[in-house]
Amino acid sequence: MTRQISRRGALAGGFAALSAGCLGQTRNIAGRDRSSQLTLEINAPPADRDPNAIRIARHLAENLEAVGVDARINTLGHTDLRRKVLINHNFDVYVGQFREAEPFDPDAMYGYTHSQFVAESGWQNPFGFTDINGTDELLATQRRTDGNERIEAVADLQRTLGQLQPFTVVAFPDPLTAVREDRFEGWTNGQPLSVGGLLGLERAGTSGGGADGRGNGGRRGADGGTETPDSNETDDDNQTDDDNQTDDDNQTDDELIDHNPLTDGDGGADDDATLRLVTTDERITQNWNPLAAEYRRHGTFTSLLYDRLALVEDGEVIPWLAADWERVGDSGIEVSLRAADWHDGEPVTAEDVAFTYEFLRDTSMGNAESPVPTPTFRGRVSAVERATAVDDATVRLTLDNVNDAVALRALQVPILPEHVWEERTGMATIAGFEFDAETTEAVVTNNENPVGSGPIRFVEAAPEESVAFERNPDHFLVRASAADGSTGDTGGGSTGDTADPLAGIPERFRGKPAFARLEIEVVGSDIAAVQTVGDGHADATASNLGPDSVPRIGREADARLVTGQSGGFYHVGYNTRRAPLSNPRFRAVLASLIDKQALVDTAFGGYADAAASPLAATPEWVPSDLRWEDRDADPVHPFVGESGSLDAETARNRLREAGYRFDEDGRLLAPGK
Amino acid sequence: MSPLLAVVSSLALWVGSALLVASVAIIRPRRLYALWDDLRNRLWEIRKPLAALVVVLIASAIGRSSLQTVSELFGLQLTWAIHALEGDFVAWVQGTFASPQLTMYFSSVYVYGYVFLLAFPFLAYLALPRTTAVKRLVVAYALNYAIGLALYTVVFAYGPRNVMPDLVTSLLFTHNPEFMALTGEVNEPTNVFPSLHTSLSVTVGTFAVLTRREYPLWTPIAVWLATSVVIATMYLGIHWLTDVIAGTALALGAVYLSCRLVDEEV
Repeated sequence: MTRQISRRGALAGGFAALSAGCLGQTRNIAGRDRSSQLTLEINAPPADRDPNAIRIARHLAENLEAVGVDARINTLGHTDLRRKVLINHNFDVYVGQFREAEPFDPDAMYGYTHSQFVAESGWQNPFGFTDINGTDELLATQRRTDGNERIEAVADLQRTLGQLQPFTVVAFPDPLTAVREDRFEGWTNGQPLSVGGLLGLERAGTSGGGADGRGNGGRRGADGGTETPDSNETDDDNQTDDDNQTDDDNQTDDELIDHNPLTDGDGGADDDATLRLVTTDERITQNWNPLAAEYRRHGTFTSLLYDRLALVEDGEVIPWLAADWERVGDSGIEVSLRAADWHDGEPVTAEDVAFTYEFLRDTSMGNAESPVPTPTFRGRVSAVERATAVDDATVRLTLDNVNDAVALRALQVPILPEHVWEERTGMATIAGFEFDAETTEAVVTNNENPVGSGPIRFVEAAPEESVAFERNPDHFLVRASAADGSTGDTGGGSTGDTADPLAGIPERFRGKPAFARLEIEVVGSDIAAVQTVGDGHADATASNLGPDSVPRIGREADARLVTGQSGGFYHVGYNTRRAPLSNPRFRAVLASLIDKQALVDTAFGGYADAAASPLAATPEWVPSDLRWEDRDADPVHPFVGESGSLDAETARNRLREAGYRFDEDGRLLAPGK
Repeated sequence: MSPLLAVVSSLALWVGSALLVASVAIIRPRRLYALWDDLRNRLWEIRKPLAALVVVLIASAIGRSSLQTVSELFGLQLTWAIHALEGDFVAWVQGTFASPQLTMYFSSVYVYGYVFLLAFPFLAYLALPRTTAVKRLVVAYALNYAIGLALYTVVFAYGPRNVMPDLVTSLLFTHNPEFMALTGEVNEPTNVFPSLHTSLSVTVGTFAVLTRREYPLWTPIAVWLATSVVIATMYLGIHWLTDVIAGTALALGAVYLSCRLVDEEV
């Protein structure tokens, strides 16, 4: 190792050299930038907002310090963190969760890692990762191929991402939820807090007689037996003004959808029909823009506001706003729409769908110098080359020569009303001044009073405190099923058709949601959230629970822990635009500083699965050499050390082998700046 | 009953009772009667400082969320710097001293004791024949709030419980999650530097020492309570040592300024 010479020493020597007439060498030495210790900033949300992420950040920071890096943890609220990382790309390292709530198709990696997106803001390639001949090629191949060929490409893609580590997968958390079942049941029928999970809920204690042969009796857990005496008591002393409000709303609803036995069944206690969730994530009380990368976690509630053409629930493909679709030729897909209305009463047309796909590709609709693409769903819409309305209820999507799986993902974007969003194609302004030529109104709007077509409608919100939605009585789930099995007039207008207007919709969603109102309240921490459910002030928690709050669920008499399967893997993301994070060898050493198994035990209280591949939630895609299974170490970058404690010397040697240097105090030197 | 209402009513009940007992024991009935007779005059006399405090409190209530936004966008993100400065001191405090009894004690002091500590001297000094002390107290409160709010805006930082949950348990909220409903109403989790709990407590403690001739019994109680609140902010994992030191400095500054601003009555 070369000995570091301090600047003062260099200068002193310089004067000596100067007097000796050796000016040239002095300039050569003094002109060189000195190395200083490498500083890395690790961005993570604070414990109140995400109890798991900060623990991963702490673990990494501790081990970075041990190998001589000055690691700084910067805690930021969700919105600020996303803005910093996804929008401004002004970060070194971040700890976060992938945005897919459920296990996903491998094509999700297209938007996340393809180099064509490096210059864009949003969820598309926030790492600035470029691997043109490897990753890009494989991403393109898996889009075009089927069967074994695709499996091979996906396997190679995972190996490549594993080697190059633009991000380090840490673990797939169990999406834990504390629920109480005295008012709503069916939490365990799938993902508790997905679109399908929430729509599939049943009112607790609805008498079997009212269910008019829906065949859903079997889906209920303990039918009728769960209504506890204290449920009424809880409701009585709970809210005051809100209750009246709710009653009024329900009455109107009931008149509109009088045919729905689910609301009739219970009679009387109408406030029972309010589903109350608690979250530590205040963003849904501030912003309802389905495209906003800063504000959406998994986008569950905006997916209930904005229908998509297709819904995938537990691997089951459900035609949603689309009644049906078929592939036309090699690159076309023709989609026929269900009869549906926007929340403002306008009909949903094929023009709206065509507009949506064009709009997501360029939210300025050609007004900007260069396109301003959507910050979310970018990978999905990149598979669609063109969208045209064939007639009022038929859209043709021209696809970029992709397989069915990728086409199906392309059908899963929120469909937006043209008459609302065409107004938002202009450049974003502050007090009339254009702020940034690459930002449109559409990507920055909070989208107050959102107009979607989904099964819930926006009612009111108190920013950072609460938000309320109500059932959309005109949604096809309700309207068509009311028309379907009951007497008299429908008002829906879709009964002329002899075909079932709900073809393809599973029984459990017909006539849903079971709640008349959905209220989401923001609380201070995961512990407070569990407590609120335990005290009967809420039916379920809707944000992540940490190792301190999970044991509490068991202590609360009426609360239960339910879980599903998550696609939202926790990961450490690197800004590969910045040295030395631009070096895959350096990132590989960082990856080996993370003891994933130990983190699963401590940061997640065991409620997570350590993983090496971002596709670990869909094991059928993961080659055996990347599966974690019974291993106790990462198959690609095993932890340097044992059960949580780092072998710092070995880690340093790895860094030395990768070409990095240390000073005499063991500090890792940043390559000269 | 909603959690917030439950906490607020229990707070009103306990602090109200404590004020009653302390008034009789420390202020003494004679002065209390005199205060009752002369209440309007005295309140009129201190109207200016009182108005200043009310203005600061209203500004804080209204402007807090916009200032919070300013802080998020433009504030100095100093969580890492504070942590680098003092290391794991708070974790050491918790690791060394934490016990269920102490947690209960410090939790009650942090919520109930603190409110009592701020409320009682106002009553006690108002009962004094001269209004200098109460004026200074009110001015010092206003200064604490105003300067504290400005610093909250400039410095964007999270407390130890949010940064190192593996070492520092959020003791207050883990054992009494209902308190979160209350503190959530009056504070943001990023408002840690300086600790206003510390600065207001130290302010009261300092005044208690300055007025020991009038209320000799109050001085040791106030100093004890103030010290407990200061320790509680760290013991409960809410504040850093740095916040506490800054809070103390703010308190002493506010007391000094209030004495300069409000002259002794002759």
